[in-house]
Amino acid sequence: MSLLERRKEDIERHLAKYPQKQSAVMPLLYIAQEEYGYITEEAMEEIASIVDTDVTQVRGIVGFYTMYYSQEKGKYLIQICTDLPCALRGAEAFSAKVCEALGIQPGETTDDGLFTVENVMCIGACDRAPVIQVNFKFYENMDMDSFNDLIEALRREHDAMQPYSHE
Amino acid sequence: MIKEAFGKGVAILEGLGTVFKHVFEKPVTVQFPEEFKPFAERFKGRHELKRYENGLEKCIGCALCAAACPADAIWVEAEENTDEERYSPGERYAKTYEINMLRCIFCGYCEDACPTEAIVLEKHYELSFTDRRDAIYTKEMLLVPPPEGQEDTPRKVEPGSFDRSIPVMEDPK
Amino acid sequence: MADTVKITIDDIEHEVPAGMNLIDAAKLCGVDIPVFCYHPKLGHDGNCRMCLVELGLPRKNRETGEMELAWFPKLETACTQKTCEGMAIRTTTERVTDARRAVLEFLLSSHPLDCPICDKGGECPLQNLTMAHGPGTSRMYWEDRMHLGKHVALGELIFLDQERCIHCARCIRFQEKIALDPVLGFDMRGRKQQIVTSSTPGFNSIFSGNTTDICPVGALTTADFRFNARPWEMVQVATICSHCPVGCNMSFDTRTDRLAGGRTTIRRVMPRQNEAVNEIWICDKGRFARHYMEHEERLTTPLVRKGGMLVEATWEEAIREVAAQLKAAGPNIGAVAGGRLSNEDLYALQKLIRGQGSGDLSAYLPNATGGEIAARFGVGVGTNLKYLGAGDAIVVVASDLHEEAPIWWLRAAAAARRGAELIVISGRETRLDVEASQSIRCAYGAEVATLNAMLGSLPKTAVKAGESLDGMAEAIVHAKEFTADAALKAAAKTIAGAGNAVIFVGSEGLTGEASRELAQASANLLAATGHVGRANNGLIIVWPSANGQGAADMGFDPGFGPGYQPVDKPGRSYGDIFAALADDVIKVLVIAGADPVYDDLTAEESIRKTKGFIVVQEMFLTETAKLADVVLPVQSAAECEGTYTSGERRVQRFYPAVEPLGESLPAWLITQRIGEVLGQGAPSVSAAVLLAEIGRNVPQYAGITCQTLAKVEEQFPDVGGEDLYYGGTSFQNVRGLGVQWPTLAEQVDAPLSVAPAQAGEVLEPADGEMIVVPVTLVYDTEALFFKTQLLHQRVPLPHIGLNPADAGRLDMVDGDLVSLTIDDHRVAAAAYLDERVPSGVVTIPRRLQTQGAPLFATTAPVVKLEKVEA
Repeated sequence: MSLLERRKEDIERHLAKYPQKQSAVMPLLYIAQEEYGYITEEAMEEIASIVDTDVTQVRGIVGFYTMYYSQEKGKYLIQICTDLPCALRGAEAFSAKVCEALGIQPGETTDDGLFTVENVMCIGACDRAPVIQVNFKFYENMDMDSFNDLIEALRREHDAMQPYSHE
Repeated sequence: MIKEAFGKGVAILEGLGTVFKHVFEKPVTVQFPEEFKPFAERFKGRHELKRYENGLEKCIGCALCAAACPADAIWVEAEENTDEERYSPGERYAKTYEINMLRCIFCGYCEDACPTEAIVLEKHYELSFTDRRDAIYTKEMLLVPPPEGQEDTPRKVEPGSFDRSIPVMEDPK
Repeated sequence: MADTVKITIDDIEHEVPAGMNLIDAAKLCGVDIPVFCYHPKLGHDGNCRMCLVELGLPRKNRETGEMELAWFPKLETACTQKTCEGMAIRTTTERVTDARRAVLEFLLSSHPLDCPICDKGGECPLQNLTMAHGPGTSRMYWEDRMHLGKHVALGELIFLDQERCIHCARCIRFQEKIALDPVLGFDMRGRKQQIVTSSTPGFNSIFSGNTTDICPVGALTTADFRFNARPWEMVQVATICSHCPVGCNMSFDTRTDRLAGGRTTIRRVMPRQNEAVNEIWICDKGRFARHYMEHEERLTTPLVRKGGMLVEATWEEAIREVAAQLKAAGPNIGAVAGGRLSNEDLYALQKLIRGQGSGDLSAYLPNATGGEIAARFGVGVGTNLKYLGAGDAIVVVASDLHEEAPIWWLRAAAAARRGAELIVISGRETRLDVEASQSIRCAYGAEVATLNAMLGSLPKTAVKAGESLDGMAEAIVHAKEFTADAALKAAAKTIAGAGNAVIFVGSEGLTGEASRELAQASANLLAATGHVGRANNGLIIVWPSANGQGAADMGFDPGFGPGYQPVDKPGRSYGDIFAALADDVIKVLVIAGADPVYDDLTAEESIRKTKGFIVVQEMFLTETAKLADVVLPVQSAAECEGTYTSGERRVQRFYPAVEPLGESLPAWLITQRIGEVLGQGAPSVSAAVLLAEIGRNVPQYAGITCQTLAKVEEQFPDVGGEDLYYGGTSFQNVRGLGVQWPTLAEQVDAPLSVAPAQAGEVLEPADGEMIVVPVTLVYDTEALFFKTQLLHQRVPLPHIGLNPADAGRLDMVDGDLVSLTIDDHRVAAAAYLDERVPSGVVTIPRRLQTQGAPLFATTAPVVKLEKVEA
């Protein structure tokens, strides 16, 4: 099922917003990411044809912006802020421990496909550093204890087969 | 008169003295080609195309030697290495490498120009030809044999084992 | 010249055009500001930071109220500045040189030191600018260099070396702004940034080779030139492209090679600057399709048919045989000449045939005619499509310029982007329609009616300019019989109101007669609105081959002698020549540089049927040559010298680059040797002497000699030469810009007249039939082109274009076998569903089907072939 078939209404809403179709590339990419969890090759090709441009340009946009994912990522995307305030509060060491605990490197996904860890720039919650985001939801004043609890909770959530959401 | 004759006799003796002195000196003649004179440290003789210790050719066919040559004596034509037929570790090797020894003035500029130290002017200087064509030394004549126990080029290698465009060189500080 | 302003460069005052890019302005003043990302044809991008200068602008002092020069506190990029009054820059201060050194150190931080094997090494802007401005040492850690892909194929033609790339985006900008194929882009960012392409096939653009010229490093290189030679080893020989009527100036870079047995060989083809023709670009066909010249299948000795077989013969034998046959046939002879022959070849051939009393001369392909109309109403001397822009109009009628003449497509599209009105009139949608301000669809065969209707719709005031012309009144009265809808009226009004107007007259689907009428209709429209007889105005015929204009000029037109001089008795047209051959009325037919048996459905039949004698002058044993009685091996354009006349009537000279292959001879010499036996006089000493003879006998070519063709003048922007960093490695033109000969309309008191253009019949397909239109593709299986292995992947498979609606009616899907029956010939190929093909029409690419294609639009039953299960 193509993206246009799945999300026709949203796509048309975005296309209508701009004087030029090409301007709608970024919102359409978000729709694709919502639908597939990451931006697939086919999605890039389809978006290119929807906005009438070459797929190379769509790929360039996906590559340029770090919040577009062209690789499949885990069910839970853990983004650890390692920018200055968080780093001063030990975020780098925390990130290393998280990776050790999950047995992966930053940017990698666990074998069970559940967790992807990423080091990111400031996410705007410096007063509660170190801070992480899990699927864009904030978890503040993190340490390894609270992190382990969080992981446990997420695993339980997954085991309970909660419907997957990006909201 | 007598004095004059005496003077001549002395001169003859002086001359003979020089002759006899040399009889007892070590001769300077060398019995070439059985014997060689020692070479100067920086003697420039016939060129050789060198190999790495693993037997691959150093020459990458860049033709900078030909560009540097003031006598226009060198001719290089390059080809691309493949994993099926690998001559040198980089992407490119010399398919044709020729030096016209009649034109060469043994200045060593080619040696200076060579980025991989492939061409070296060695000590060999016995160059004689009966035909102008024979003066053109081809790559087969210039290339040194592979070191003991190493396979000759071209070789078949594992795909992906050579991925650099030129052999990795040391930090050129 | 436009307004000028005074600017100060390094304390010296200069006067330069106002609003000019500062880099260009400095260049005009002889001051080099080093650049990587800026290119005079691409404009600024400001990403390389190499052009940093100290910049001062005049500012009003608030206290005293006087103007004073205020220097910017930081260095500014010169490429993002435009000249204005009082501007001052300093390019040699320590701050500037420090900045340049720093930029170079940064660019080189991860640049591999593989210059010795880099194809760009020796003509590399990065090398040159590093030598001039760069640091002698690096402070970077050697181990920190990035190791990236070295030989990344962006398609089979162009390779990317990711380590060498400095991310100047010249290639990306070229593809977006000039080639209009945005198939290159950046992926990722920061140190991970890379050039990528996602098109299928990779780097899908017919202008891809140009990116390697403007690449300021060795990041983009062509597969054709990979490790082929070092730039300094080669000798540049000026030449003219022989693939299409644009007449791009090119350079054959040659080297004498051991591997080629001591022969001089062409190592690469490079564009040569001619701002009026191709600027600094060439298409990939011109660049890569050169391998036929050195192909092993080239004919090297004459072949004579003996006992049913073509056997090798001596020149003497072959020429004697041909001469004897010609003598015996008397005036019952004819000639068909392909448009890649030079003017000299064509002149000699027509002289031979006319000398024997025959006027049966046809150019090949015979679709495009109307050379005499171009001689009267063609574009004026000094025409340069580069100068067309806002307020001007370009009309393209019955032509797919992208496929037929890529550089004209590129320049017409560029003019449209500068604001020129681009009107496309054709039977189907082509790539140019995307850029067009007005797309007019007309039925195949209704092109003349369309142009007539446009002329007829114009009010009296709009056609004032042409009123006094002989025949204009009749032409307008005739044109009024055609009705114009609102779109046509608007288009006509656009042309009438345009400052300059150029019409590209194509011949898609048209017969020779129809294309002549189309040229006439275009001329009427232009003459009526005053768009003739001056530069940047007039018509350009899109000939199907490189020297179509030259062939018409030399008299390969049944109605005219050389130089469009009247003939006593008109000769036969192309179709009639083959009909007469089949009926044995024509007893000897000379086919030179053409392969009708392969391209034309019906020619083979005539040749097989005739008892007549067929002489073929060719480079290869083509399908036509296989049926010939004598095959005479000719030299390629790289081996002999001669001249081509481009569609813009620019006579341009090409020079011999390599030694002739085998015993092959220049075509004109072969013809003249035959003429010598027939008592027509001794052959010319050289092509140059023959050109002088053309100058004496063809009025338009009077005064055109090898000397005038070799004249050059300074061009701006200057590229090549010492200025590699500035404009890329396209070559400076030092061997001649050519001469555009003037039209009659430009001459005072010339006998100029127009005539009503007769509209042909629109094809009416019967039940179960459709209109079949032969179309031209840029990459096809033509004998010469297909010898280049490198481009095979780009040649489409044989197919027949079909509208999806028609396909639905015929119960067909993409790829089904479709069969047409044209005059008892069956043509079958896979259906290619294309919405741009109008309903009721099928398109057949010319020179792609092994069964051949019709020469002109026709009607034929179209059926679906049931797939035969294997």
